Amino acid sequence: MRSWARLIPNYFLLTLFLLVVILPILGIVLSAFKTNQEIAKGPFSLPARLNFDNFVGAWVAGHFNNYFRSSVIVSTVTVAVSVFLSILLGYAFGILSFPGQNLIYAVLLIGFMVPFEAVVIPLYHFLNRLGLVNTYWALILPQIGQSISFGTLWMTSFFRTAPQELVDASAMDGCNRWQTLWHVLWPLAKPAVLTLVVLFFMWTWNEFLLALIMVQDDRLRTLPVGLAFFQGRYVADIPRMAAGSIIVAGPIVLVYVLFQRYFIRGLLGGAIKG
Amino acid sequence: MNKKYHWPGESRFLGYLYILPGVVIYLLFVLYPVLETVRTSFYRWDGFTVNRTFIGLQNYRQLLIDSQFLQALSHNLIFIIFYSIIPIVLGIILASLLGRRRLPGMTFFRAGLFLPQVISMVVVGVMWRWIFNPVFGPLNAFLKMVGLNSLARPWLGDFNLALPSVGIIGTWVMYGFCMVLFLAGMQRIPEDYYEAAELDGANEVQQLRYITLPSLRPEFGVALITTIIAALRVFDLVYVLTRGGPGDRTLVVAFLVYRAAFQQNRIGYAAAVATVLTLIILLISFLILRFQSRSEE
Amino acid sequence: MKKVALQVLVLGLIVMLLLTACAPAATPTAEPTKAPEEAQPAPTQAEPAQPPAETVTLVVWDQYARDVESEVMNQINKEFEEAHPGVKIERVVKSFDDLKTTIKLALGQPDGPDVAQVNQGQDMVAIVAGDLLLPLDDYATKYKWREIFPESLNSRNSATATGFGQGNLYGMSVTAEFVGVYYNKGMFEKYGWKLPTTFDEFTKLLADIKAAGETPITFGDLDGWPGIHTFSSVQHVLVDVDYINNFTYGLNNVSFDIPENREAAKIVQGWAKDGYFTDGFMGIGYDDSLKIYKSGQGALMITGTWAAGEFVTDTDQKFGNFLMPQKTVDTPQLAIGGVGLPFCIRKGTKNADLAAEYINFLVSPRAAQLWAEKGMLPAAPLPADYKVEEGTLLADQVAAWGTLLKSNGIGHYIDWATLTMYDTLNAELQKLFAGETTPEQFTAAIQADYAKR
Repeated sequence: MRSWARLIPNYFLLTLFLLVVILPILGIVLSAFKTNQEIAKGPFSLPARLNFDNFVGAWVAGHFNNYFRSSVIVSTVTVAVSVFLSILLGYAFGILSFPGQNLIYAVLLIGFMVPFEAVVIPLYHFLNRLGLVNTYWALILPQIGQSISFGTLWMTSFFRTAPQELVDASAMDGCNRWQTLWHVLWPLAKPAVLTLVVLFFMWTWNEFLLALIMVQDDRLRTLPVGLAFFQGRYVADIPRMAAGSIIVAGPIVLVYVLFQRYFIRGLLGGAIKG
Repeated sequence: MNKKYHWPGESRFLGYLYILPGVVIYLLFVLYPVLETVRTSFYRWDGFTVNRTFIGLQNYRQLLIDSQFLQALSHNLIFIIFYSIIPIVLGIILASLLGRRRLPGMTFFRAGLFLPQVISMVVVGVMWRWIFNPVFGPLNAFLKMVGLNSLARPWLGDFNLALPSVGIIGTWVMYGFCMVLFLAGMQRIPEDYYEAAELDGANEVQQLRYITLPSLRPEFGVALITTIIAALRVFDLVYVLTRGGPGDRTLVVAFLVYRAAFQQNRIGYAAAVATVLTLIILLISFLILRFQSRSEE
Repeated sequence: MKKVALQVLVLGLIVMLLLTACAPAATPTAEPTKAPEEAQPAPTQAEPAQPPAETVTLVVWDQYARDVESEVMNQINKEFEEAHPGVKIERVVKSFDDLKTTIKLALGQPDGPDVAQVNQGQDMVAIVAGDLLLPLDDYATKYKWREIFPESLNSRNSATATGFGQGNLYGMSVTAEFVGVYYNKGMFEKYGWKLPTTFDEFTKLLADIKAAGETPITFGDLDGWPGIHTFSSVQHVLVDVDYINNFTYGLNNVSFDIPENREAAKIVQGWAKDGYFTDGFMGIGYDDSLKIYKSGQGALMITGTWAAGEFVTDTDQKFGNFLMPQKTVDTPQLAIGGVGLPFCIRKGTKNADLAAEYINFLVSPRAAQLWAEKGMLPAAPLPADYKVEEGTLLADQVAAWGTLLKSNGIGHYIDWATLTMYDTLNAELQKLFAGETTPEQFTAAIQADYAKR
């Protein structure tokens, strides 16, 4: 059992670093169940009972029900469209051949590097002319544009490594390109696509700047922006702020816990490929 | 690439059908706005009225002498220490201490360490504003509890501490990412490298220097690009925590863009700042990638 | 199944994109509600369900976000709805910052708010320059609004495309505001302190409070803007009303870099150095500072009447209010003040008449009474038979407001002066309070912003 003893410092170290991450989060979770009187007693007291009033307060009075709906709509549409388009783009760049391929590929990749700060100003005026400001489209379309830039990179590198024999065989069987994609390659692509789904979901769910600028109507706001303005109104009401924070972070953490392998692979691997 | 070829009877333009929808959206909502930002940066415009005045490079000239912009930029550069250097150093230390052993339960630690990466920065900001709250927050309460009253500070409102306070949040967000990244990279290094080194009598430090670090070069590149870009783009945190205060001590470039464009109606100037920010980000990414690919040869 | 749905979605998207890209203005597409023309109001795209034809919904944006104020607004809206069957008020509450950030963009939208509060000063000028507000002069005549306030107050809600303080009337305010000094009555009784009548006495009082081991002034400057009120309260003691008017309206080439302003800066910086403010005030947000003061920590608090509602609810302390004393007892009283953010009408609204009717109710004696009942100072006259209870915080403030009106001593929020002044003052005052700059550097920095106008 000597090896176990040697591992103890390792676990000690890991636990230490983990605690630094977890404790602040734990503190805010506890605060969400406290009353304002309990907050006044100091940050280290435990809530007397599991009290969900703050969540109800945030959900109804704080309009988090609206924000939640907006976030779900925007994320669902953005992720679905972005993933679908990314598959098409990746397939075209990875398997097909067409004039100007490399140039278009390079132009698409720039988008991954460009920060939203660089596009929001004209984007706002452009969308305003189209009458799309203050609609979900103003959040969805630019987010798709940015997502598929990374999606192209990710899916292209997947399709490039797809076994050529399969593609050849499907040509022999008389499949056309479209059928080859969906009947032959799709089953192989699922893990790569799942990674894209979780990454896109995370980016869209947490997006702030775009949502801050493109939407002024409180009913259309997404959760992060809703929370930021909620803070403006209830900054002194720590329990309600905490409850709001949990509503914002909860879904993404849940997805993360379920799919953490794909998350980590996406963030690590995707970056390495870049 | 030899595997790409046209099937019999297939148009060589077939690929356009597949890329068309994506490319159209990309052109309209990413590329066109980027170019338009650059164009706008040569004008004076309030964003409301139709009078745009072409003023050439004047916005850029003003930017060079604008102490607010220069300060904001210097803050972003300081954030590189907090977002990038400290997490990378911490990550490499942890990875080398843990070594190459497979630890049972590693998945759990990995998932935990990575958690801040997936949480919205607004939530992170709200959380830390509470932690730093001098009256109701846990940080000062903790210091007072253990008898360190003299260390209690108005963190986010203190001229000397506000920037490091916001910066340390970046460290908190990023270090788990760097650790997981380097740990994953270590798994890739073949065991026999180390065995051979041990046979040659290399000690642990030498193994770290001559095997581990060189092998982790791709991970270094990733960690640098990701964290440096994050440091240069800080916006959500400052918006939620300090709005650039106290004074201009936590002012960052992205917040300056937002404030100039959407609150002060200085659209042209904001566009110039945004253009410079983008160029800096592209330049740094390009340099790191260049360095990376050259060292791989 | 999912795949098909996706394809349909994408196809629809592309069709829409291609069409809108070529001809932004008029596109008879399959999209259900597309704004036909920017200037014209259009059905909201956000709300698929249109209300039945006979009900009219009035969208109102206000920034009465604190609990007490918010209750009053809800009550006012309820009574308006009861008096106008078929009208529904859709209230959107925003914090001041939220409103300031989004209102300019929202008023340009075809589905923007029908009625909204707009910050006075350069904010209003920018919005008027963008032609986004409806001039209210005809309604003012119809409803006799100009009789409610003296002209000096109406002019604060007036603007042209280049300046404010004159031109068309664009809004009506419902609350009156001044920045005064709150005091904790219990604490004053305990120590036997007297209310100061001159600024010297006030300074002396601060020292006495400090000597007694209490915090003289509860203050939190993390958010920046409360510092403007603290500084400018002292400034209003040292300068006269003409200077404040000239500076704020940008008239007669006045400068900020004058001895009086340097003196005021020196005084407030001295207060910070001497520990007269709450410990750690640089890290405390405004709402937290209210909470601290309500809990009985701190003898005085320099802030506006808008906070009064908070100080009479959920607290066991008793508070009074006085105006910042002047140099001598005979100096005409002057204080930062004015009227709350005016309610304005979006130019593109279809319901302008109804919106005006709504605003008329907001400035009615009945609405004034609703504010007063919750301890808030209304802008409009109270009903003739309504008496404010003696000895209350509100009674102090009603009396003080009367004094200010009589002495023509309602000053200004100096951050109105330029579009960037709010941000500049916030930042520069934080530097001043923290001792990072000298009073001379402070006034020079503000003047530098002012000169750019």
